[in-house]
Amino acid sequence: MRVERILVNAGKTLAVLLLLVWSLFPIVFIITSSFKPGREIFAVPPQWFFAPTFDHYITLWQRWAVFFHGLLNSTIVTIGAAALAVMASTCAGYVYSRYSSRWLGASLLSLIAIRLIPPIVVTLPLFPIVNNLGLADTHFILSVLYATFFVSLGTVLMRTFIDQIPRELDEAASMDGATLPVVLWRIIMPLAAPGIIAVAVFVVVFAWNEFLFAFIFTSTKAKTAPLVISEMIGSIEGVDWGVLFAASTIQLLPVLIFVMLMNRYLVAGLTAGATKG
Amino acid sequence: MKTSRIWQMVPLLAPVQLLLLSVIVIPSVYVIWLSFHTSTFGQSASFVGWGNYVQVLTDPGFHSALWNTVVLVVVAVHLEMLIALGMALLFNSGLWFRRILFVAVLAPYAVSEVVGVAMWRFLFDPDVGPVSNLLAALHLPLLEWSYEPSHAMIMIAILTIWMHLPFTFVIIYAARLALPSDLYEAARIDGATPLQSFYRVTMPLLGPAILVALLFRYIFAFRLFSEVWLLTGGGPARTTEVVAVYLYQEAFTFSAFGPAAATAWIMVIVSMLLASGYIYLLRRQVRNAG
Amino acid sequence: MSESNTFRITRRHFLGTVAGGIALMAAGPSFAQSKTLQVLSHRVHQTSLGEGDKDLLAAWKQEHDTDVVFTTLDSNPLMDRLFREASLAQTDFSVGYMVDNRPTSDNAKLFESLQEYQDKDPIEAFDDIAAGLVRGMTIDGRLIGIPVRTATQGLFYNEELLAEAGFDAPPTTLEELVAQTIAISEHGKATGMILASDLAVFPVMFARAFGGDFINGDFELLPDPAAMQTALTVMADMFQKGALPRSYATNKGEELLTWMQQGRAAFSVLPFARAAQLNDPAVSNYAGKIKAIGFPISETLKGKVEMSAVVEAWAMTIPANAVDKDLAWQFIKEVSSKKNTLGMALNGNGPARVSTFLEPELTAKNALAEIESQVLANARGAFPPFAEAARAQQIFIEEVQLAVLGRKSPQDAVASMQARIQPLLPA
Repeated sequence: MRVERILVNAGKTLAVLLLLVWSLFPIVFIITSSFKPGREIFAVPPQWFFAPTFDHYITLWQRWAVFFHGLLNSTIVTIGAAALAVMASTCAGYVYSRYSSRWLGASLLSLIAIRLIPPIVVTLPLFPIVNNLGLADTHFILSVLYATFFVSLGTVLMRTFIDQIPRELDEAASMDGATLPVVLWRIIMPLAAPGIIAVAVFVVVFAWNEFLFAFIFTSTKAKTAPLVISEMIGSIEGVDWGVLFAASTIQLLPVLIFVMLMNRYLVAGLTAGATKG
Repeated sequence: MKTSRIWQMVPLLAPVQLLLLSVIVIPSVYVIWLSFHTSTFGQSASFVGWGNYVQVLTDPGFHSALWNTVVLVVVAVHLEMLIALGMALLFNSGLWFRRILFVAVLAPYAVSEVVGVAMWRFLFDPDVGPVSNLLAALHLPLLEWSYEPSHAMIMIAILTIWMHLPFTFVIIYAARLALPSDLYEAARIDGATPLQSFYRVTMPLLGPAILVALLFRYIFAFRLFSEVWLLTGGGPARTTEVVAVYLYQEAFTFSAFGPAAATAWIMVIVSMLLASGYIYLLRRQVRNAG
Repeated sequence: MSESNTFRITRRHFLGTVAGGIALMAAGPSFAQSKTLQVLSHRVHQTSLGEGDKDLLAAWKQEHDTDVVFTTLDSNPLMDRLFREASLAQTDFSVGYMVDNRPTSDNAKLFESLQEYQDKDPIEAFDDIAAGLVRGMTIDGRLIGIPVRTATQGLFYNEELLAEAGFDAPPTTLEELVAQTIAISEHGKATGMILASDLAVFPVMFARAFGGDFINGDFELLPDPAAMQTALTVMADMFQKGALPRSYATNKGEELLTWMQQGRAAFSVLPFARAAQLNDPAVSNYAGKIKAIGFPISETLKGKVEMSAVVEAWAMTIPANAVDKDLAWQFIKEVSSKKNTLGMALNGNGPARVSTFLEPELTAKNALAEIESQVLANARGAFPPFAEAARAQQIFIEEVQLAVLGRKSPQDAVASMQARIQPLLPA
């Protein structure tokens, strides 16, 4: 019995270690490598102790100024997308939570179905339309695209969260003469804050990292950070791994920390979004 | 509900509906029109009937792209599910530092496809990659993803699993946590071994969650683009090209908008078939739960 | 994992985090110039104009109070992007670099006709720009691009790596070249040869060494199928014997330079003008040891026919939907001047002006100028432009890769090229 227990515990420890290596090694590796001096990146076996240097970051700053512009664009687009998605989803989620009818039920299902259309499909027709409207290469169009692909999930999520707010609260408020926007702003939004954060977490992670839409709809003004990194992989003379790792680290760290801090919201969102109609 | 109140709701529903209509629904319908015409830069469209569909469906390049996509979806998604299931049971069996471990396995969710590709490309770089070096030192076969198509597919599968495992894991783990513990208590009293209680209690009860997660992942894996585009570009010799990359090439490299639109609609139809299964399951679950 | 009771982070906390993030991001460099000219090009076009203190356009930028911002991509994605940009209602790119095998009657309409600009505000000594190149950029009687770069492909070799494997002279025939690459790989220090697999250039060079071709100037597909088959057999054999790297199928054009600079490969096929970069002590481990000759022809043809190397030309175009076309023309005019053509040539750009090859400053610095002009005399494009050229090149590359990797016999690959590409050719 005791031997068996030791074996089970050893097995579990091994599994946990494997899991940690699998999940974290690639991430830790590029972050540490970005601080390694030139050739030590390629040292065999990899060096875990070294004198850290900011050389790659300095090179990045000097030769890839466009990357920092990309970060700024990513930030603007991400905030725009999150704000738009949260506003739209809260409004719609409120309706789906407070009212029910056959028509509403059907429209909720259609929301979910529409969301499942692959994004690459709409790039083809949107490309000329966006251009004729003069929206190509703007922060606005990226924010709208990113928000759109998350409003369905957002609506479902917000409905779930608003369901937990007692109806009596908003009914009492409207008795006192509060208009619908006031009810939403003063009562629903503060009480559904966890839901709003959950929606925002999804949109932020998606918009910050997205590649395909940015690749097709931007050229210079609204080019986002992931796009600049992809150009670094593809177009410089050979891959300058150190600089690439420095850029990757800068792009990765904020959202990694964000996800780690917000993991509860993310989990709540994932489970509610995937399993609740 | 009174009709007047429904009308009051319209402005609230409008933003979501407008976004979906203008960005997804109307463009998708326009794709149907495009798919029956032939057009390219500097040339106006002319009607060709089913021509584009015939061209795409008879193109060996499309067949191999479709086959690659199916292989990747089937292999990667199921493997991912197995790992996620194992992880959920591991986490549920009582671990030290469970909260921290949980956050750690969630980390890849934050990584963009671009950075993910950069990482894994470097780890498996045939000349300087640390994993390649380790494999070589252990006299294990290398992953020659730049040369051997099957290895390239394995590389793409690894990357896809790495990026999406947190999602699948969270869903399965949440479902496992929701199972009532008295069932296991009862099974234990009846003398069931842990293995028996896994097959008799855990699996049947987790079934719906697993199905939902699987369908969800099928739909998302089917549109796989960035990982392949950035890692292999569909190579070597187009042997790892997937449907989304095929669509991109037709549209933006060959400027053949007709066949690209036809490919797009084939993708929509397959996605919708998968999605209808997903929605059917969701509705059944909602009904059962209610 | 219950939802409601675990949310302890308040909205204010969350907003604070976001605001802090923005403040951090806003610290990036600012981009404030009075005018900006956006250029879409390959990285090599940018580097040949020089950077920092050696910027050839420094005076021009000051005079026009303009900053030039390059967006650079590798060859194929660059062309995808240029045509996509030109098809828009408006593009930010005022100047786009175009390779000579891509303009067609359809897509040429998307670019400004430059003759009017030339008549109004002419480029210095326009006649000096090679007439053949200008013809290549004249589509349906409209001049759409000003030639700026020729890339005549030569065979580069690392003298030291050759010597270590026991070769004191570069090959004089294709057969010798193959034998040397195999021997060097067997020697173990470096790979015999590095080629990119995403461009038609390289297999076309091998096919021409045997008297064959891919698509010739008369739009004849595989004029000598047997020669193409032999070429593929030779390349497949090199791959199998390790004379080409295992990563062949993913090696891109831009990597060739680093492989040679780091001494990872002994031979490569690159434009002659790259000699300067290959031998630059700042970036090359083998500075001064990387030499070039014309690509050798097969011994069966030696002395009977001249090897026809691949030459690729790039031209500067103005998309018809560009914002600042006059400024774009000013840029093109400046870049095309005699002075800058020489400056770019000294930085490793194959000149488009005939006279530049004879400039003493260049011949003194670049011993290859003479060899290059000899090779150029017989050189022609990898394939002529036509509507489906991009797709034809893609199919060709795919079949070549299959044959080289040994997944298809050279015979089957050639048969399949014929069957798949023939329908794409203009009638």
